[in-house]
Amino acid sequence: MLKMTDVCKVFRTELVETHALNHVSLQVDEGEFITITGPSGCGKTTFLNIAGLLETMTSGQYLLDGVDVSQLNDFKRAKLRNQKIGFIFQSFNLMPDLNLFDNIDVPLRYRGMPAAERRERIDKALESVGLFSRKKHLPAQLSGGQQQRVAIARALVGEPRFLLADEPTGNLDSNTARGVMELLQEINTAGTTIIMVTHDQELANQSPRNIHILDGRISNGTPAPQQETDKEAAPAVA
Amino acid sequence: MEIGPILRAMTRNKLGVVLIALQIAFTMTVMINAIFIINERNRLMARPSGMEEANLFHVSSIGFGDDFNEQIVTADDLAMIRQLPGVINASETNAIPVSSSGSSTGVRLVNDESQPSVGTAIYRSDEHILDTMNLELIAGENFTATDMRYRSESGATLAEKTIITRALAENLFPDVAINDVVGETLFMPGGTSIQITGIVERLQAPWPTSSLIERSMIVPEQFLDGNSLYLVRTEPGERDRVMSEIEELLIAQNDSRVLRGLSSLTETRADTYRLDSAMSSVLWVIIITLVFITCMGIVGLAVFGINRRRKQIGTRRALGATRFEILRHFMLENFLITSVGVVVGAALTIGFSIVLTTNFDMPAMAWYYTPLGMLSLLLIGQLAVLGPSRGAARIEPAMATRSV
Repeated sequence: MLKMTDVCKVFRTELVETHALNHVSLQVDEGEFITITGPSGCGKTTFLNIAGLLETMTSGQYLLDGVDVSQLNDFKRAKLRNQKIGFIFQSFNLMPDLNLFDNIDVPLRYRGMPAAERRERIDKALESVGLFSRKKHLPAQLSGGQQQRVAIARALVGEPRFLLADEPTGNLDSNTARGVMELLQEINTAGTTIIMVTHDQELANQSPRNIHILDGRISNGTPAPQQETDKEAAPAVA
Repeated sequence: MEIGPILRAMTRNKLGVVLIALQIAFTMTVMINAIFIINERNRLMARPSGMEEANLFHVSSIGFGDDFNEQIVTADDLAMIRQLPGVINASETNAIPVSSSGSSTGVRLVNDESQPSVGTAIYRSDEHILDTMNLELIAGENFTATDMRYRSESGATLAEKTIITRALAENLFPDVAINDVVGETLFMPGGTSIQITGIVERLQAPWPTSSLIERSMIVPEQFLDGNSLYLVRTEPGERDRVMSEIEELLIAQNDSRVLRGLSSLTETRADTYRLDSAMSSVLWVIIITLVFITCMGIVGLAVFGINRRRKQIGTRRALGATRFEILRHFMLENFLITSVGVVVGAALTIGFSIVLTTNFDMPAMAWYYTPLGMLSLLLIGQLAVLGPSRGAARIEPAMATRSV
């Protein structure tokens, strides 16, 4: 469902040229749970941004569900993000002035979904993360773990094809982080593909497939267990 | 549309919203009432005097010396002026419309001084005055040279005929057809009777703020007090040339006098309405300043709000918002704030207008001022917030994953 070939990302200033991603090739199949690890500044977030269509790549090819996204304009990329990708951020990125219901409603409104269907989906998403009774609360009235659950509900409410998580447990204590990780594993078991960036090697070890990035290159990778014959499905090519 | 969430979010940041909404409300109140006052002034200034002002000028001749015979000099002067190339006609008159200086009297339909009189401006002039002023005679006839009376002492008029304005005729004879007013008799102060021989469509009194501005009468009479006021009508485009020559020609005719007050009617009107024009200009400056300050307030609030929410905007973009949807979000937010302001402003505007009408004798404001003002402020608000909103729409979705 996600296939990157020779993807490069170069940030240029007048004085410096930084190769954030250097000829990265990767294929992710439906239903996988992949963790991305690497030291700070290695290109993890850049990889996530390009995978999530938040940034454009400098060169290479990226196919998302068979669609060459490098050919898409800003409008189509936004629509594709809205339809197919769910995001979970390290600092939750909830809107502090909106209650939980309205926060989860944000991606659905951009989809132009009817109000009744939105309401049904939001209630279901809040129930799935155990926060239905708090739907009129503001994010500031919740703990960090609860806020991340809301963010997960927001990511899932649009029923995306895959979920991109940027250090989703980075701002949580270990107990809460474990709970969030379990929730993500449940979501993956239910069929959603997950790509998670993390610093936490222990969490990375829990995933069936870990990609390590170093200096903008994939330095190693564990093969996806369900991969079979397709050579291009090789997990990492540095 | 995200009206619900935006409104709910605004209620959690009330102070900035309330302050801007109040600023918009006060701006609208001042703006609409000031525009109404300006328009009222403009309407008063634009009232026609009844004369062909563009081609008129006037000059005063003040005679001195024992052998100065005003009646003869005036007749000679007018005969000379009427012969000048480019001159259509000229008259001697005691007053000129829009000059702020003239005479008034009271007329009655019965010779009984205990009865109330009707106030009117009185112009003392000659049989040329209708042509000189280019007045429209709608009934009756003009004076003739034999109608002219001359007197050197103040007191009751010696004239036996008068031409009055339609407004004065309608005031004196509200139930009589205009043509039938001709031939009626009026009684002047002191009991002198005078017959109405003609009616003109319009001839304003000299005082722009007077309540009797449209009520005037002309009598064929010259008051010989040594001061002759000549009113001259020229061909179009000839006024300034004739004005530049007239003083020299009059002095050459008779140098036992002083000439002064040479002025075109255009200049006289500008002088008379100078305060009104100045007030309009001051009010425009106030309006523009207030609107500018309000725009700055709107821009300031929008820029502050956008800078405070850069990460939120990035997150919205990450969650699927297009650039247009971000632009629309902030335009809508401003529209809601401005709407609150203009609704409060509408109430204040109407209240203020009632105060002006009640206490300052101003006419009631037309109904369309308030909705037009509301619409203008909404439009101004949207224009003010367009720039910041476009800036917000340019925020990249990758902002969502940035830590700063």
